[in-house]
Amino acid sequence: MKRAVPILLLTIAGLVPLWRFEAEPETVVAAPEAPAAAAPDTAAPDVSGTSQAPAASGAQTVTGSLISTKYGDVQVRLTYAGDQITAVTMVKQPNSGPTKMAVPVLVRETLDAQSADVDTVSGATTTSGAYVQSLQAAIDAKGD
Amino acid sequence: MRRVEHIMGFPISVDLRNGDPAAVDRAFEWLREVDARFSPFRADSEVSRLDRAEPAPNGLSPDLAHVLDLCDHYERATGGAFSARIPGRGLDPCAVVKGWAVQRAADLLAAAGSTSFVINAGGDVATSGGPWRVGVRHPLEADRYCTVLEVTSEAVATSARYERGNHILDARTGRPVTDLLSLTVVAPTLTVADATATAAFAMGVAGIEWAAEQEGCEVFAVDADHGVHRTAGLPVAGASVAGASVAG
Repeated sequence: MKRAVPILLLTIAGLVPLWRFEAEPETVVAAPEAPAAAAPDTAAPDVSGTSQAPAASGAQTVTGSLISTKYGDVQVRLTYAGDQITAVTMVKQPNSGPTKMAVPVLVRETLDAQSADVDTVSGATTTSGAYVQSLQAAIDAKGD
Repeated sequence: MRRVEHIMGFPISVDLRNGDPAAVDRAFEWLREVDARFSPFRADSEVSRLDRAEPAPNGLSPDLAHVLDLCDHYERATGGAFSARIPGRGLDPCAVVKGWAVQRAADLLAAAGSTSFVINAGGDVATSGGPWRVGVRHPLEADRYCTVLEVTSEAVATSARYERGNHILDARTGRPVTDLLSLTVVAPTLTVADATATAAFAMGVAGIEWAAEQEGCEVFAVDADHGVHRTAGLPVAGASVAGASVAG
């Protein structure tokens, strides 16, 4: 028996937002800090502003190039702490039409997932050599 | 009790929360037997002998026949994208053997009375008596998770193309798959989860939907454009982490 297959494609490459024409509201993840009217995202880390770089934590922001889409121009700014992306901000986004904007969900899901305490880790086959420095090795070493 | 052994070239961790610890010995013993019998890297294994077309004294063993049937099933189901016989290479049923063997190890623990355990075989996970929280390795950052799943007794398997290391070939072209980074399948058994994840990955992006159509399978995938795909029934840990969902 074949089931209906609702695959949710939420993001698109290179931090170009995916523009979902008349997307269902619940399928869309709002930008954490969209300057336009996007809803605040409570799961996103609290960053103080797009132009401010918190000095102490070594945070830095990188602004992507302007990308033209059929709905208008799009520009994204990323905030890094070290190598890790901590926030995604829309610098420019179209404000017309029934388009909805999605932040790169790989980033967002990663942010959400880090706080989770996990029992085990699934990934492509870890070789015994790579295992030594893997998350699973840390879990095994932790004990009960 | 927890124990880790390195068999078939990857670490296998058992986290047994109840039941007879001696069953863990038997499970590892079984996995070492599988390595000896089914490794294509051992010249005297059943697989290597079959590949050389050497007659086996007692014919094909039922286990090997079963493994080859599974390989044939997934080869047909993927239109040839997955194959244990990629042209120019030897017979390699590893992708199916791993899930099947570890699932049987899990069955051994259950048969010995354990109702709560996790086996993690190089990133493929069989469970019983959860809830168990299973982090899925981020395809780009080895020390992070891209999602966390919560399962009770399901299995979780991931096929992926990380920056370094394994490449999965599309047997139809003989070329590595490049449009997917990571594909994770949750299924009732690791036999199905692992084979489905591997076979789907060989199909590339089209494999996401294919995997989702397989009986009892839920899918989480990251494509090469960093797009995240998942089925509505994916057991994401914690409703708030789910972020978004669609009705199925």
